[in-house]
Amino acid sequence: MAGETLIAILILLPLATAAVGLAVKDDKLRRPFIILPSMALIAASVLLLFRVLDHGTITFTPSGTWDPIILILELALLAYFLYLGVIRKHVLVLGLAGFQLALFCLLKFAWLPSGFKAQPALHVDLLAVVMCLVISVVGSLIVMYGLNYMQNHERHLGLTATRQHIFFFFLVGFLGAMNGLVFANSLLWLFFFWEITTLCCYHLIRHDLTDEAEQNAMRALWMNLVGGVAVVGGMALTYQASGTLSMMELTGFGTVGPVLLLPLALFCLAGFTKAAQVPFQSWLLGAMVAPTPVSALLHSSTMVKAGVYLVLRLAPAYQDTYLSAVLAIFGAFVFMVTSLLAISQPVSKRVLAYSTISSLGLIICLAGINSGLAVAAAVALIIFHAVTKGVLFLVVGIVEQDIHSRNIEDMEGLTARLPVISGLAIAGMIVMLFVPFGVLFAKWAGIQAAATPFSEFYPLVVVFLAVGSAAGMVFWVRWIGRLISNVTTADGPPAEVRREPRASVPYLVVFSLVGGAVVLSVLAAPLVSWLINPAIAAMGYSPALDTAGWYLTTPFGSFSPWALFIVVALALLLPALLVKARPEEVMPVYLCGVNQPAEGPTFRSIADTPAAVETGGMYWTQAFGERSLNTWVNGAGIVLLAALFLGVIM
Amino acid sequence: MSGYEWLIGLAALVFAPLLGGFLRGIDRKLTARMQGRIGPPIWQQFYDFFKLIGKARAVTTKGSLMWVWGYLLLTMLAVYMLFAQRDLLIIFFILAFAGACLIFGAFSVRSPYSHIGAHREIMQMLSYEPILLLAAVAIFLQTGTFKVSGIFEHDGPLLLTLPLVFVAVLIALTIKLRKSPFDISASEHAHQELVRGVYTEYSGRFLALIELTHWYELVLILAFVALFWAQPLWIGVLLALGVYFLELLVDNIEARLQWSWMLSISWAAGIGFILVNIILIELVFGNVLRL
Amino acid sequence: MGLVAKARVKSPWIVHYCCGSCNGCDIEILACLTPMYDVERFGILNIGNPKHADLLVVTGPVNRRNVKVLQTIYEQMPAPKLVMAVGACACTGGVFHNCYNTMGGIDKVVPVDVYVPGCAARPEAIIDGVVLALDKLSKIK
Repeated sequence: MAGETLIAILILLPLATAAVGLAVKDDKLRRPFIILPSMALIAASVLLLFRVLDHGTITFTPSGTWDPIILILELALLAYFLYLGVIRKHVLVLGLAGFQLALFCLLKFAWLPSGFKAQPALHVDLLAVVMCLVISVVGSLIVMYGLNYMQNHERHLGLTATRQHIFFFFLVGFLGAMNGLVFANSLLWLFFFWEITTLCCYHLIRHDLTDEAEQNAMRALWMNLVGGVAVVGGMALTYQASGTLSMMELTGFGTVGPVLLLPLALFCLAGFTKAAQVPFQSWLLGAMVAPTPVSALLHSSTMVKAGVYLVLRLAPAYQDTYLSAVLAIFGAFVFMVTSLLAISQPVSKRVLAYSTISSLGLIICLAGINSGLAVAAAVALIIFHAVTKGVLFLVVGIVEQDIHSRNIEDMEGLTARLPVISGLAIAGMIVMLFVPFGVLFAKWAGIQAAATPFSEFYPLVVVFLAVGSAAGMVFWVRWIGRLISNVTTADGPPAEVRREPRASVPYLVVFSLVGGAVVLSVLAAPLVSWLINPAIAAMGYSPALDTAGWYLTTPFGSFSPWALFIVVALALLLPALLVKARPEEVMPVYLCGVNQPAEGPTFRSIADTPAAVETGGMYWTQAFGERSLNTWVNGAGIVLLAALFLGVIM
Repeated sequence: MSGYEWLIGLAALVFAPLLGGFLRGIDRKLTARMQGRIGPPIWQQFYDFFKLIGKARAVTTKGSLMWVWGYLLLTMLAVYMLFAQRDLLIIFFILAFAGACLIFGAFSVRSPYSHIGAHREIMQMLSYEPILLLAAVAIFLQTGTFKVSGIFEHDGPLLLTLPLVFVAVLIALTIKLRKSPFDISASEHAHQELVRGVYTEYSGRFLALIELTHWYELVLILAFVALFWAQPLWIGVLLALGVYFLELLVDNIEARLQWSWMLSISWAAGIGFILVNIILIELVFGNVLRL
Repeated sequence: MGLVAKARVKSPWIVHYCCGSCNGCDIEILACLTPMYDVERFGILNIGNPKHADLLVVTGPVNRRNVKVLQTIYEQMPAPKLVMAVGACACTGGVFHNCYNTMGGIDKVVPVDVYVPGCAARPEAIIDGVVLALDKLSKIK
């Protein structure tokens, strides 16, 4: 199949599916309508990968009829944001949307010559394909997972009229918009898809229509409109400075030399809002009021990834500049503080949200470091983070529908109640956290890249990265600890082991994501040599990772994923299989001798009444709580942003 | 290099427990002498070990037994990698995984004492992990590689250009060696408010495995200290022994501190020292990567 | 004598439980740990956790309130394990003999291997008792 067809499928198929799905209000009928296109989307993205690997970058401008269509839709979209501002009486949204609309009209009708086009409109290189794979594979899996989830969700809410068709309209449409965004070369097209993601995000967050949902959706909207304004402003300045709106030319491939830094800084600011970086983190934290598939999609494969994609995509343009140096500090700072904030969170989804923000901060930091090694690590982190974060959100969704809580404290001893799903959760967290898995490979390469003196401030970046990665350890380890804290009695595990629907779609989705994460981690070296090195080479970086013998070797160190994986797997799995506990060897826990024979640890309390032992997680709220840190964190974030812009303007 | 690093690594796996157990014996003897006692025989740790092996099995939960093996085997992996002169960052990451296994083991049984210990152990990791990573970075700035082999190829001892990093590492090592004032997760000396913290629910051969892991850890830590004077290595070994004696001295004259003190001391002093040292490298000693 | 059996004699860890003594014997037990007597010479550690201990050292006449505690601590020690009754009260009930609320000696509750008499038992006597206990321990196969 021609590359152009595949690109058209990848953008239009989700949009068409979304539009058709709007008419399908029956649960049973919806399944094939969602699952088949999702499968097709996965297949198309894989085909596109092989196509680009074989034949190189595809550049492509659709026929001229698309431009007016996009322009009309664009204006309608901006007007809709304005309308939202009016009917919700939200001054910020109103102002930002109005400003954005005015600026866009000025740009389009006054500054740009009529019939101006950035050629080519679409430019699909390997980085775009990597993003497309993440969006299409992980995103489609999440959409399929959403089918069962939303049925349960609506049953739980007791809705009389289903709203699922609206939900899937935005959910599936999101994937098309994201694919369009990563393929776009013309900044005008990019802006169009950028605004569609904002729209989808807004509607998905407010899906449940509770007061809290409406409120958080509005917050997400205005924060993303800040990004939208930044994109339009960036476009206007880019055009004035260089007379082009093509990403390729901007990143130094075309004829235009280095352009002004200010538009690039504005694009980065837009990226920060999408990627919920400090001080914009509150919209992503608020987004968890939405049903779980939304969180999973926003955090793993879409939305926030659009933000880091833009920053990473523009990285060659601002290499060796002030902007790059500040980006590295900013990203590392966000990485550190959000990891520290996550320590104090007992709500699982908030922990996941903070960890997402921190991973995105790391990606931005790596883009700022801007060496071949750093960018390779950033691409690897995008892939691995999408897969593992997808797993964790989906798991939390399944658990939440079972235990009706998203609090980590309520998940105590979950391995005894829901062994399969909590096992998958633990696997996901271990992949997120420990050697030899992919996320850690990115951290390893990241610390190496940060330690090379890329700017005067590298010691600061290294310190932020070291503290942040230690803080990440705290909340994941504690969470796993809460999950595995359970009681074995002489008669075997407690009676309430739930039968889990292992063959259902949600479980299969989670299984395949965990499997994918592990396989990709073990095969990290071939992945690097086959995909990531060519991808960064296409961006203009010299590959810094050598993969001889399937070892990952940088100029400064080496890492052998598969060898370490074998040892780690043996160290953890062999004991699990070989260590046996016979019933007669089981002994109750030490409770100063006042144990009471009963199920679980129980002690003799006042007047010999039995009292069950309760244990809880520590959250160190005094030290790491939002209340004590938020002011400082946001303040420092704003100062860093101000420093970024002041330095760029000077 | 000679190509026999893997052999050295394997030899280390065999001899590290012997050396570690012996050093722990010296630890107990010296501690006793400092307290005006005669103290146990030097081989006491081995007696303890074999006695524990011979005890009847008592299990609180199967999970905790699994994780103990993970703790031991991953620590052994880290020891192997250090002596085979691999990547220092990866060694520290593996060490963190091993430490996490100990925490998981303590968490997997619903016992108040081991849970308190586990939480404190997490705080210990938060305290020393950044220092170890940053020490690796500082060494990298002098040798131009994260590989341990690079330290041996480097001219001159690291201690001369990384004196403050060395001090920071000492702070981290006090935590890692579970010595006062930072023995907060499992109180080295039993019979305190935590009972035995993370080890409370282990008994018999599984406690012996933990003891064995400690021996490996001890050798690993002292080997890392010795790297600060890698050429000639005998000075490094003396340095490591001197550090060990210093740790014992501190252990005997300090009371236990709270976790918040531990965190603020290790971060403020440890990270601060390393930052100052990195700046010194840039301004005075010269960063090898800029040459 | 095998390695493990030899190691057992060289490393008896004790857990001390006071079930209602006047604290006289407890003080004497602690005195054993001091530089003056230094029982760590023999590898003895006061470990404070029955799961790690080999030797249960009990002082005081066990009473009806703490009898269950004594039993639980004894049960939580993994075999091989020994019990040493220190002081007149622990051996027979001492001055509390036939008192309405005491059991009259811990051997009514747990099997005792070594009796160390005295009110309070002297450290030398306690150490003698430990040596007796070790002798018994060495015979365990």
